[in-house]
Amino acid sequence: MTDISRRQLFAQGAAAGVAAGAMALPGGAALAQEAAGGAAPAPGSSAGPGLSGVWGEDFLYQWSAPDDLVRDLTPGASSIRLSGQTTPRFSNAEGTDYATYFQNLKAGGWSAVESASNTWLSRGKMPESEIREIKDAAAANDVVFYGLHCAGNIIAPDPDADRWQRHIIDSIAAAEEMGCELILTHAGSMYANRNWAHPRNWTREAWDRSVNALKRICRDTAGSNVKIAIEAVNTESVNNPWAHVRLREDVGDPRITVGLDITNMVFPSVAFRMSEFINTTFDLLEDQIAYVHGKDFVWNEMLPGMNWAMQGTGNMDYEMFLVRLSRLKTNPYMLIEFLNEPEEYALAQRNVRAIAQGVGVNIYGNQG
Amino acid sequence: MLRHLIIAAGLLLAPVAAFAQDLTGTWVRDGARSDVVPDSMYWTVRGVVTGGTRGPTSNHVIEISQDAGTMRITDPARPLRVYTLDGQARTVPADTGVSEAVIKAVVQGDAVVVERSQTYSGLPGSATLQTTEYWTLAADGNSLVLTTIRQTPARRITYNEVYNRQAPAPAR
Repeated sequence: MTDISRRQLFAQGAAAGVAAGAMALPGGAALAQEAAGGAAPAPGSSAGPGLSGVWGEDFLYQWSAPDDLVRDLTPGASSIRLSGQTTPRFSNAEGTDYATYFQNLKAGGWSAVESASNTWLSRGKMPESEIREIKDAAAANDVVFYGLHCAGNIIAPDPDADRWQRHIIDSIAAAEEMGCELILTHAGSMYANRNWAHPRNWTREAWDRSVNALKRICRDTAGSNVKIAIEAVNTESVNNPWAHVRLREDVGDPRITVGLDITNMVFPSVAFRMSEFINTTFDLLEDQIAYVHGKDFVWNEMLPGMNWAMQGTGNMDYEMFLVRLSRLKTNPYMLIEFLNEPEEYALAQRNVRAIAQGVGVNIYGNQG
Repeated sequence: MLRHLIIAAGLLLAPVAAFAQDLTGTWVRDGARSDVVPDSMYWTVRGVVTGGTRGPTSNHVIEISQDAGTMRITDPARPLRVYTLDGQARTVPADTGVSEAVIKAVVQGDAVVVERSQTYSGLPGSATLQTTEYWTLAADGNSLVLTTIRQTPARRITYNEVYNRQAPAPAR
């Protein structure tokens, strides 16, 4: 991992951001770096996380990438296993023909899969024979069942927070039973629905609720090897890579890892600076990344309204993204998600595979 | 393929055959005789409608100025296009000004053919988008057909648009 600590960045940002008259806005830390060594910082000033300044920092948001941006597209040796939210979704619903299901995944070019926790846990205790059947079917088709994608909101208004924390704990037990590597959850929102941005989600109170909830989950699942991957979402406090780093530090457990969703962290400040944002994110998080989501977006509305786009057609720098994934030490899983029709998943996979081929990144398996 | 496309264009204008012409003029899109055209900038998903499509009621006007060596297209939906009709590949900035596009334009039989290759979004790192446009003029000089092929790794789509001349055609 590149040696960039959050504290270093904040310190640099504070020193220079002040000199430049920066406010605590995204981009402030970076513009501070350019001016570092200049005027002494003013007491009480601060700078936030963000990308480097480019031009006009004193009167423009830093929303355009530098003209001299150079992308290092040297691929690594790891192969990416693709997973997709295709329908039917993988579940343990009674009567599922697992052999056929995994055969179809392989035939479609998907070499990894996850399942939704709600459905999985609703089944209750599964017969050992069925657990073996799932594992055998996955192995026979060289598909990795890597995780449970968890529902709920671990800091929901009480008493629901406790219920959802127990749901995560039960999901970890189920993942352990299935030999999965991870579960995916979120920092949560102060509203019941974590996809609604609560005005107080970025307060100390909300942060402490998230940290304490995760500490409890870690404590109650101590001894488990299942990673607790956190997915950033813009509506929640963990919506940037620096917050990911800080959450892991504050919870103090190495099982707190990253379910990296770059597009969930996009806002105007980085919407047209995705090459840099992807690089910065990987520099900060790469040894904590448990798996990644592959989506794309465009900014096509008057308000800062980002909309989901077909993978490989929007603002995401997929070349950079795939190259950085290929440099991870272990073969990463990438979940292609947020599409509707099964046909769309096939289209997305074609784009991703073509882009990967263009930059020499290996995608596991073949698309039929 | 070209023959197939020109036949398709000809069917739209039947019974008038198409032939190579000077496309100079002001042209109004005929929605009733045109395909619905997908948004050329965005490929949004999850039911998001961008408003960038052109449908049956789109009142879209373009201006073309053409001579022996160039074709210039003023389209309110996109930056000015000036094509040198010599078949040579030229690298120009994509509309975003961030990445580049490679363009070739040439007169092929009855059509002006414009090929363009760039990243889909015009930003670094997205999938390659290759478009080929075939511009043909009806024999009476009052309609032109634009056939566009858009090719990405994911899919290939073809659509036709018919434009009617805004002013009466000059006497031949």
